[in-house]
Amino acid sequence: MLKRILLPSILIILSYGFWVSPDFKEIAAGVSIFLFGMLFLEEGFKAFTGGMLEKLLQKTTDKTWKSLLFGVVSTSIMQSSSLVSVITISFISAGLVSLVAGIGIIFGANIGTTTGAWLVAAFGLKVKISAYAMPMLVFGIVLSFQKSRYLKGAGAVLAGLGFLFLGIHYMKEGFEAFKDSFDLASLAVGGYPGLFLFAAIGAAATVVMQSSHATLVLILTALAASQITYENGLALAIGANVGTTITAIIGSLSANVQGKRLAGAHLIFNVVTGVIAIAFISQFIWAVDIVSGKVGIAADNYTMKLAVFHTLFNLTGVLVMVPLIQRLADLLVKSLPEKSKDLAEPLYLNDAAIEFPETVLKALKMEVWNLFDSAFEIMAHGINLHRTEILTSPDLEKTIDNDREVHEFDMDELYESKVKVLYSAIVHFISNSQAHMSSDFSEEMFRLRKAAGEIVECVKHIKHLRKNATRYMLSDNEHIRDEYNRLRYQIAMILREIYRLRGDKDIDHAIAILEMDELKAEIQSAHAGLDVRVTGILRDDRITPTMATSLLNDFNYVDETSRHLLDTAQALLVSHTDLVAEAAQEVVLDEDEIEKASAA
Amino acid sequence: MKFTKLVNKFEKLVKKYEKGVSIETEKLTKLQQLLSDKRDRYQASLNTTEDAGKRKKLETKLRVVNAQLEKSKKL
Repeated sequence: MLKRILLPSILIILSYGFWVSPDFKEIAAGVSIFLFGMLFLEEGFKAFTGGMLEKLLQKTTDKTWKSLLFGVVSTSIMQSSSLVSVITISFISAGLVSLVAGIGIIFGANIGTTTGAWLVAAFGLKVKISAYAMPMLVFGIVLSFQKSRYLKGAGAVLAGLGFLFLGIHYMKEGFEAFKDSFDLASLAVGGYPGLFLFAAIGAAATVVMQSSHATLVLILTALAASQITYENGLALAIGANVGTTITAIIGSLSANVQGKRLAGAHLIFNVVTGVIAIAFISQFIWAVDIVSGKVGIAADNYTMKLAVFHTLFNLTGVLVMVPLIQRLADLLVKSLPEKSKDLAEPLYLNDAAIEFPETVLKALKMEVWNLFDSAFEIMAHGINLHRTEILTSPDLEKTIDNDREVHEFDMDELYESKVKVLYSAIVHFISNSQAHMSSDFSEEMFRLRKAAGEIVECVKHIKHLRKNATRYMLSDNEHIRDEYNRLRYQIAMILREIYRLRGDKDIDHAIAILEMDELKAEIQSAHAGLDVRVTGILRDDRITPTMATSLLNDFNYVDETSRHLLDTAQALLVSHTDLVAEAAQEVVLDEDEIEKASAA
Repeated sequence: MKFTKLVNKFEKLVKKYEKGVSIETEKLTKLQQLLSDKRDRYQASLNTTEDAGKRKKLETKLRVVNAQLEKSKKL
């Protein structure tokens, strides 16, 4: 009920907001463009999975100190810890880096961002990367029209960054209206309450301005005008550090659970660091004075002292948190769990059905179809296709050739939770009901159990096929890619045909059963064609011998899967009430007959 | 339990009686008719198709249907 009213409520609230406030409209558009950028960025990085970037990231982030350094260097170059955070979120969502490495990068980014304070303090400038948003968008879109996967990927990354900046720009513009409402002098409070209050103001100001650097400039101006005390200024800087995490949190909205965990790590790190800095503010002030004295910063040069403070408290935060990285990761995994994959439950098997042979068979058959449906989805994803693509694409072959999206999912887990559970329930149900059945019905039950077993085998075969099918689907070698796409097509085509023949009320079941033989013969012909093609392209050095052996091995999986699927469908389409369909079962061709019919 | 077995046996006997020879023949004739219709459709498509790939597929289908028809006649 709540779910049903949630979306309309959000849409109504948004519409009302757009109507009453143009600023709100700008902020909401900014958030949307930002999230759109995140999606682009993630897609872009996915194009590089399995290649150079993955290796580079793995090498540069395989140890905590390396990921810290990566964060420091990248943030120093980009001058935005928020941007490094959102990019890391997209790395993590694309499976390019681990959560622990991602947390390391975030910690490093917090040190890297302090270089900005030094730049602002020393030169009064900051690198304005947002000026590149428009060119990035243009170059990104141009590149995304290219054929090469890597160029497309680079285009998506550039366009993603462009959209991110554009989104931030709109958010800033929208919040501009609220900027002048900060009258810091009127809020001056002494002691810890004042520190917490100014930290909160710093966080709010950074959220509003979408830049901790901008908040830093605001603090310096207020300090110079004696609107706030030095201590309050430090609290504002602490708050700015916390406020900067909002960009990462917004970015994680479109990310998977790993991305959300990383945003959580960012928030926890910045809050903990902030709390430490506030709790030990006197010690920090003392340390800042010591360091400033050593490096020759004048006692009243608050600008530089603020930079020292910013660096010191972030360094302290990293020193405190680095030994806890693994614990932090464990905590986040525990508190933000993957959505638990519900165990599939049998839909038609119940004790009431056991008493009557006809109902046993009917329930069993429907349950095996239910198992087939579950297996269909897993197999579709196993060959990196969506179920709807298989069922609705007007040109399946073309769809498969063009679709290079890798479906990230745990096939073992789905097998356990969706297939094995149902299969076990079917086997259990059969053993319980056998006592009530005559030999005729027992035979039929055995046929259905065999069909269920074959479906399970199919999922296992696709699991074996998946690794190479995914690797070669992304290969730049068009010959091996085409061959693997043919294998993907064969599975998809059979799944689609079974679905069509099962669902089409106008097709006689007898005809549907016998049509499976035609598909078997077609596959048999394809087998002969494959042998000839593989020999040819191997001889011409278009594929390596390793590729050829992988292909031949995988073809056997596909071949067996195809036969199992068609046998299963033939068994499931037979009906005791449809006598012609029952007769058709007797006319179904055996392997030799199929081979004979398929030979030209 | 025994009663259920008895009922099953009775059902089986009745079913056999109900099917009878005439129905057996009738369902085979109907199946053969369906297959013949299909064979004619494939043959007609083959006569009008020039695409080599499609022709090859149709020929395979036709051979399968012919084999099925032959098998049904032996039953």
